[in-house]
Amino acid sequence: MVIDDTELDHFIAKKMIYHAYKRFEVKPFYEAVSALDYIKGEGTLLKANTNTLVLLDIYMPVMNGYEFLDAFEALDPAIQNKYYVVALTSSHEPADMNLISSYKSVKGVLSKPLLAEDLSAVIRRMMIEKDIEML
Amino acid sequence: MAQHTPQMAEKIKILYLDDEPDNLTGFKASFRFDYQIFTAVNVPEALRYLAEHPDIKIIFCDQRMPGKTGVEFFEDIRGTFPAPIRILITAYTDLESVIGAINRGNIFRFIKKPWDQADIISAIDEANKYYHTTSVLSIKNEELRKAYAELDKFAYSVSHDIRGPLSGILGAINVAREIYDIGEMKEMLFLMEKSLKKLDTYILSMHDYYSLQRGELRITDVDFNKIADELRDIFGMVAGTNNIKFDITVDQREPFRSDTVPLMLILNNLLSNAFKYQNKAQADKSVELAIVVHRGIVNIEVKDTGMGILGNHIGEIFNLFYRASSQEAGSGFGLYNVKSALLKLNGHIEVNSALNKGTTFKVSIPTK
Repeated sequence: MVIDDTELDHFIAKKMIYHAYKRFEVKPFYEAVSALDYIKGEGTLLKANTNTLVLLDIYMPVMNGYEFLDAFEALDPAIQNKYYVVALTSSHEPADMNLISSYKSVKGVLSKPLLAEDLSAVIRRMMIEKDIEML
Repeated sequence: MAQHTPQMAEKIKILYLDDEPDNLTGFKASFRFDYQIFTAVNVPEALRYLAEHPDIKIIFCDQRMPGKTGVEFFEDIRGTFPAPIRILITAYTDLESVIGAINRGNIFRFIKKPWDQADIISAIDEANKYYHTTSVLSIKNEELRKAYAELDKFAYSVSHDIRGPLSGILGAINVAREIYDIGEMKEMLFLMEKSLKKLDTYILSMHDYYSLQRGELRITDVDFNKIADELRDIFGMVAGTNNIKFDITVDQREPFRSDTVPLMLILNNLLSNAFKYQNKAQADKSVELAIVVHRGIVNIEVKDTGMGILGNHIGEIFNLFYRASSQEAGSGFGLYNVKSALLKLNGHIEVNSALNKGTTFKVSIPTK
């Protein structure tokens, strides 16, 4: 899942993801609200050991990344476990970095512009943490 | 803004507390022509005057009184009546306690007994100036605090709204190195162009924001028919490309004088929003602009059939950087700038909207 309000960033993220691993299915969301609704709907139906990588842009209008995380962390932990959330930001400000890391569900932070090696590293880490095998 | 009473016009209010009635009479007799003097013979009376007249600027108090000394009285009222400037009247032998009180900040000046008319007058002048400075200072401090808060918000938005598109372009260039398909390349170039245009709009809006902060109005005769033609030129292409009907009606039978720069800013921003926030799928999209000049007031109505604004956002859409929609994100300056421009022109605005049906902005501006 990629949650970002900018089309160009979606294009880039998709390219990077397919470049890292061709068999990922990428679902784009242009607003946090619809992503949250989707997770609430799909989250209960997914099997326990499935895993979805979520790339979450922080700076978005209406509902930003922080507000999304507040709502996400209020969900049933069983649902939360099926999603591996990584924050995306173009900011280098310590205040932003501190706030992002204070969220338990955020497993990593990636800087924009998104680079192939950074994304691959995050995906590898996710595979190890979640004990998933590459098909 | 605080009202500043000119010192010449209104007499300064002064309270004098002394347990000896002769001193009170003497003081009042000497100064009642130039100042408004309240005399109190005991502490309760003094406190009553202070409560009834919060604009008492200076308190003279005798040190030697039965019960409480002047120093003790001043220490007590510092919390409850912090504004008046405190001046102690004392004989030489009381100096020890006086010095301590001055150092603690409880007393502004002390006057030696028996007092000299000139000494009292100069003390009043200085105390009055000090009073004025301190009250202006606290107002300025509050204004400064608000200004810093807005600056922080501003700095945050600027860095994200400018760096966001830039990092997007950099990312795209990086991706381009691996693209060999022309179709894909063109698709990406289109998205890059879109990002840069948005960035440009943001910077232009920010420029408007700054221009509105400064500058005096340049009043000229306004011909709304000419303005209508200009707007048809500006928005004609957008309307055509997106299949949006654009109608302008102008009813101007009397002259109207105003500054065209903020006027055009208001019209441009409202129309640009009207075209931007349309429902792409909808069949009959339209934007209507109606301008009526009547009895020295121009009433402008911008109506669209767009996506509308959610009820709970309507109160906030004029706030800086507030964005009610994520679909076609705005710069966050547009409506704030409209409001600033209207403030300059003494105008008003109201908005009505229904989700997915449309929005109507009504603006009224008086002629200058």
